Amino acid sequence: MQRHQLGSAENRIRHSSLNFVREWTWLVAPPIIMFILVAAIWEWAVAFYQIPPYILPSPGRIFESLVKDQGSILRHSGITLFEAVSGFLIGSFLGAVLGTAFAYSRLFAQSLLPYVIAANTIPVVAIAPIILIWFGHGIPSKIAVTAFLSFFPLALNMMKGLRSYDPIIMDVFHVSAASNWQRFIKMRLPSSLPYVFVGLKLNVTFSVIGAIIAEFVQADRGLGFVIMTAYRTLNMPRLWAAMLVSAAAGILFFALVALAERWIIPWHSSMRKAE
Amino acid sequence: MNTSTQETAMLSRRGTLGFHNLYVTYSAAQGADAVHALENIDLSVDSGEFVSVIGPSGCGKSTMLRVIADLVNPTSGQVSIGGESPKSTRLKRKVGFVFQDAALLEWRRILQNIALPLELKGVSRSEREKIALELIEMVGLIGFERSYPRQLSGGMRQRAAIARAMSTEPEVMLMDEPFGALDQITRDRLNLELLGLSARKRMTVIFVTHSINEAVLLSDRVFVMTARPGRICGEMRINLPRPRSLEIRQTEEFIQYVKQGAALLEQGFE
Repeated sequence: MQRHQLGSAENRIRHSSLNFVREWTWLVAPPIIMFILVAAIWEWAVAFYQIPPYILPSPGRIFESLVKDQGSILRHSGITLFEAVSGFLIGSFLGAVLGTAFAYSRLFAQSLLPYVIAANTIPVVAIAPIILIWFGHGIPSKIAVTAFLSFFPLALNMMKGLRSYDPIIMDVFHVSAASNWQRFIKMRLPSSLPYVFVGLKLNVTFSVIGAIIAEFVQADRGLGFVIMTAYRTLNMPRLWAAMLVSAAAGILFFALVALAERWIIPWHSSMRKAE
Repeated sequence: MNTSTQETAMLSRRGTLGFHNLYVTYSAAQGADAVHALENIDLSVDSGEFVSVIGPSGCGKSTMLRVIADLVNPTSGQVSIGGESPKSTRLKRKVGFVFQDAALLEWRRILQNIALPLELKGVSRSEREKIALELIEMVGLIGFERSYPRQLSGGMRQRAAIARAMSTEPEVMLMDEPFGALDQITRDRLNLELLGLSARKRMTVIFVTHSINEAVLLSDRVFVMTARPGRICGEMRINLPRPRSLEIRQTEEFIQYVKQGAALLEQGFE
């Protein structure tokens, strides 16, 4: 704030773009260096101890498999990612709607919440076959499983978030004769956003898991299918490659939501840099 | 003492704010006794008057303000603000409220925070920002329009809260220990500015505080309340000349008022 007042606008911009580069270097460099280090030790260990590839393929072999089959892996991961994103969007939307209903009606929340929590504890592998029977063997059933998984975290966090407003701010709105819609859109919803993003980040992770697990149960394409077939044929480098790609997809997806969070709620305390 | 009907007629006079036989009882939580927050409050405040209410913690001072702002319903008795009920006054946006906590929306910049009541009223963007900018100048926050609340000090946040409460030009300004959380120097300065603001705007101000000094410095009249149940046990008319400055606190008269207020408070405890 001091700098804001003292520096000229030009100075400030130059300052902040420099800071930006420095920040990103600090953010990105350490994990990359760690990655290279671990891969090097791994490569060396596999060669030195002569570990067979079906136990642990070397990073080189995995990379080779990835490059050789890139067309096929890319196609399969595209399908899985499509299922994950669609399921995430549908599940999050339904979760947000239900969470809002919970926040506004205590009776509704009291009567339905126990069952929602109970349903949340059902292992996804147990419910996936049922959903596959209902929604058929195509992509929609994978989306349904994903939506099922990425539904609860947002429903619960949305409810908590919408209830977490500052009561004094509610008084300010009351004294200003605000309508219920204004209270929702200008106060309760913005106050809920930090919680909403907690829910969305959980959903992101669950959505990739959900899509792959649904493909395990039954599929003829997708990363889950690649992993299962590679497992059956003991093609471990391909299995590892598919696993890494699914992890990368998950990380990318997560990063997108985290970026959206930084952009949408820069004011929230969780977004402040650690001292 | 007037008869009840005369009293009510007097209260309903335009521009006068009054309580008549006001009782507020908070219904009890399981097992506990009901809390008698206010008991038989009878008072009237003239239009443009600056009135303070002092009393021990938990004596129902805040409840009084909350009744006027239609945040709490009286258990019995009448409340009238210029002949109208608290609800209709609130819906007409004639009441401003400043809380001990600035209660700014942390996702809005200061300008948008101050313009909030106007936005809720449906005033156009350009119009409300024009008004908000004038208020920012008035409370001395120039240069911070685009700052977020967390970038401001406690005193500055409270200035923003005052500006926000003034944005709809309320007839009645309710202030619930607005400077209670501030250090003495900031508090003095804000007291001084509030003196100027209230004189310029001719608002009716009801100011709740723990500090006798603050009450005497700012007010035309000071009401003293007892601890639970909250009753009014004394009243002082402060005949100090206006405009007042902080130096007035060194005068013999001022010190006499403070002593008198302290004595009334003391009585209330017994």
